[in-house]
Amino acid sequence: MATRHAVPGRHPTESPPGVARVVRTTDSPNCTGACGWLATVVNDTIVDLKPAADYPCDEYNPRGCLRGMSMTHLIYGPDRVKTPLIRTGARGAGQWKVAMWDEALDHIAGRMIRIRDEFGPESMLLFNQVVGTGYVQKGAQVRMAALLGMSFATAYDFNGDISMGFTHTMGIDCVECETKSWGHAKTAILWSSNVFQTRIPDAQFLTRVAKQRNNCKIVVIDPRCSQTAKGADLWLPIQPGTDAALALAMCRVVLDDGLLDEEFLRKYTDFGTCVREDNGRRLRASDLGMGGDDRFVVWNEVTDGWTVLPMDTLDLGDGIRPALRGHRTVEVEGRSVTVRTVFDLIEDELRSDAYTLEAASRVTDIPADTIRQLARDYAVNRPSSIVIGMGLNHRLHGDLTIRAVLLLSALVGAHGKPGESVSIYSGQHHFRLDVSAWWFPGGKRPNAVPMHYFTMGKPTATMNPKIKFPKSGFKALFVSHGNPLVTEFSDPIKKAIDDLELFVVVDFSMTPTCEYADVVLPAPTFWEKVELVGTSCHPYLQMQQEVLTPRYDSRTELWMVRELVRRVDPSLLPHFEFDELDAIRMMLEDGGKEVAGITVEQLQKGPVRLKVHDPEVGCDEQFLEDRLFPPRAYPFPEGAQREFLKTGRMEFFKEEEVFQKLGEALPTFKPAFEHLPEEDRAFPLSIVTPHSKWRVHSTHCNNPLLMNVNRKPVVEINPRDAADRGIADGDPVEIFNRNGAYQVWALVTETIKPGVLCVDHGWWDRFLGAGKYHSVHTHQKVKPTHENYYLPAVYAPGQHWKDTRVDVRRVK
Amino acid sequence: MAKLAMLVDLTRCIGCDACTLACKQENGTPMDVFFARVLNIEAGTFPNVKRVYLPVLCNHCEDAPCLKGCPNKAIFRRPDGIVLIDQDRCRGTGACVAACPYGNVYLVRSDRWYLNEDEAYERDYVKPRLNQNVARKCTYCAHRVDQSLDPACVVACPTTARIFGDLEDPESPVSKYVAEQRSETGREPFHLLPEAKTVPTTCYLGPMAEQASSSVPDGSFAEVKR
Repeated sequence: MATRHAVPGRHPTESPPGVARVVRTTDSPNCTGACGWLATVVNDTIVDLKPAADYPCDEYNPRGCLRGMSMTHLIYGPDRVKTPLIRTGARGAGQWKVAMWDEALDHIAGRMIRIRDEFGPESMLLFNQVVGTGYVQKGAQVRMAALLGMSFATAYDFNGDISMGFTHTMGIDCVECETKSWGHAKTAILWSSNVFQTRIPDAQFLTRVAKQRNNCKIVVIDPRCSQTAKGADLWLPIQPGTDAALALAMCRVVLDDGLLDEEFLRKYTDFGTCVREDNGRRLRASDLGMGGDDRFVVWNEVTDGWTVLPMDTLDLGDGIRPALRGHRTVEVEGRSVTVRTVFDLIEDELRSDAYTLEAASRVTDIPADTIRQLARDYAVNRPSSIVIGMGLNHRLHGDLTIRAVLLLSALVGAHGKPGESVSIYSGQHHFRLDVSAWWFPGGKRPNAVPMHYFTMGKPTATMNPKIKFPKSGFKALFVSHGNPLVTEFSDPIKKAIDDLELFVVVDFSMTPTCEYADVVLPAPTFWEKVELVGTSCHPYLQMQQEVLTPRYDSRTELWMVRELVRRVDPSLLPHFEFDELDAIRMMLEDGGKEVAGITVEQLQKGPVRLKVHDPEVGCDEQFLEDRLFPPRAYPFPEGAQREFLKTGRMEFFKEEEVFQKLGEALPTFKPAFEHLPEEDRAFPLSIVTPHSKWRVHSTHCNNPLLMNVNRKPVVEINPRDAADRGIADGDPVEIFNRNGAYQVWALVTETIKPGVLCVDHGWWDRFLGAGKYHSVHTHQKVKPTHENYYLPAVYAPGQHWKDTRVDVRRVK
Repeated sequence: MAKLAMLVDLTRCIGCDACTLACKQENGTPMDVFFARVLNIEAGTFPNVKRVYLPVLCNHCEDAPCLKGCPNKAIFRRPDGIVLIDQDRCRGTGACVAACPYGNVYLVRSDRWYLNEDEAYERDYVKPRLNQNVARKCTYCAHRVDQSLDPACVVACPTTARIFGDLEDPESPVSKYVAEQRSETGREPFHLLPEAKTVPTTCYLGPMAEQASSSVPDGSFAEVKR
């Protein structure tokens, strides 16, 4: 048997005395996976990490991934921020004074008071990343912003995670089934989605369950043979940015082959409502003297007359059967007006020459037969799932693409059952409970302003009037849990920061954003503080435990805001005299039906299942309980989303003038790069920037353990494109266009489509050969159809990170 | 007697490298030493290209060339089949490294580490576990097996693609899985490099996904559209 030394790894010759204890916790990084861990701790040092694998329903076990496993090397890594730091030189010069907390807090508070008194509190902006992953600590920062009257920029929309195609269609910015639902699918389309890499703990529902048990047909649509293509039956290397053309051609196949689910369309969509030819608006009950302006009518085949659609349920019973087709003439204020059903309008659009199989094949580079077969598989080989990735959404016209995909799903009724949904796991905006009690004391909310306008330095002409851009502009910025200077917009953001009087960054790692700060405050990692964590991927609420005492001089975010409030406005202090457990109790008490009856004591023992369907299929209340769309977006009150989804059904026709003006009233295909100036379009290559396996966005970029398996940034390039440019594998190369340039190394590979480059996102500049990460990105732009209403992170501007054209050259 | 074996199901495997990192963490291996790795392979030319992920580790061969090749008799096979390198007997000749046809034995002359030297984690809990200048390799986590625990890579695999157990016990997880897959999906376990005649115990089940790709019929690609 093994001698003491025979086994390298577990029999130390000597180790410090100490008693091992094992702590069950969960992590909460921005992958939003929320995986349970068992940490073994000796002398306040984590010496072992293993997946907890204790979810009561065994199908969810185990959860975890290489990034979670490597967290030790960030906790103990060389880039840890150990003490508060106050800048002594120019911004970014790297000259710091190591400060005590009192000094740093006094420094910040003094400036906050002056800015508040001179310019108003709204000129101070809080930008903390992905608030849905940490209800307590990130919530504490929002609570402070609310009480002080500060501005608050939601990260979700700035990141481009917001999916306005969903908001336009379903009234909510994204819809997800829990990943267990994938296991039921017989057809799974991963539409630019790379779940084997981005949803590692959940991928088993595709491989172990869907593939192995149902022999599910897995299709990956992606210009790149991604990690997920490894497990696909069919990989479709699509021309980037042409996905809407593919989706609409598939819709056409569904029409032509008679594969429609008409009952679904009648019940869940606006297909039966009618559009007036005279003004392009939807026909209302008020037009016919049958009710209010907020009610809509359908031609009822049961009564052969007009009937007002109910606005309290989707259930139409036996009494209402909306006609899907037909021109009709109605009397409106004494005039006769022709109206057509939305279905008729959509059918006209789909019958246009743009969406024939041949036309779509030319645009997308996918053979006509393949498109037809894919449409038929999706419609017939059920249950059918679609997972949308950010390659679709991170484009100016990504909203149109998603509307087209949702149209496809609605035509065949692929929603509302295990294995049937269109999901987009685009970040964690969906709160699992109503956090208002903790975040918005007494109903007081911060002044929400999209980060886009901060980046642009001013509002657009079309900015929604609800948004209160501060009169004197912004004077202070607080960034927490985020790294905005490792984005495509690091230059414009730096420029905007240069106009500020105060820039504070809270982080545990010395990121490029910290390096540009006036004051850096050391935060604990998520292994050093208490938090309440939920995720859309699985239905368990979990408590994050303080596995280690906060290392060095780090302090929790709750402590930081309490100390700041004490200095800025002591009268507000009573609002912060709570600890983490109090905050959790407060949220659980008023958190809504999903958390009814869940207690802190239960959570301290392990994961607790939310009161939700098993499995959650996405829009459960709508598809399983007949409640009107949209699903409620926590933490906004019921009804806040009604103004942009007036019919309460999936809307494929958008009547607002701003859509009509852009020719986007119906789902349609617009070439991805048409909005770029001619000089930008002239660059020959597309570039995509997917998530990396080795990072969570830019977190772990500096993790020494993961750097051992991911040594330097590469650009994937097809041998054809490489040969044209004299580039060999491993060469240093520069990616460039009119906007900027940066240097990485070439990875010449057959796994990427000719004409497309790929650099995984989140590289810190210090790891590049030269230049700034993705500084080739086009300028910040906002689409007017994202501004005509405003609800933070629900109806707000998105991003177009992938709409960039570039070229690449070898560097000598 | 027993015959402990690791089975990797390539249908379940997503190529995520959780095994790679779980192993590093469990065994405290220094920089550039990987007892478990995942080979990332591309095959074919665009668009008929396949991406293949192949997790590799010590095969704990029944006829192990490393064992036969060691001049110091430092490598031995336990009755349960695990092949180990006795870290006290090893003189670092490197004969085993040369003998292993799979490249799964590591010998580095001077360990390099990840963290600053004053970090207790590596200084007190990781480095003291290791002898210097000796050959090292995967042990199937023998120290865990001896406590009736599965190897670290097995418990950390998020898709349960790695199944461990005694092939001679029909009730072990690995025997049951092999039997179940034989009848349900018609797949038979296979070994790497059978021509090397090493008789590995680490074995694999093949991928079920077809991995076809679409190409434009005439084989040409439309020019880049804008």
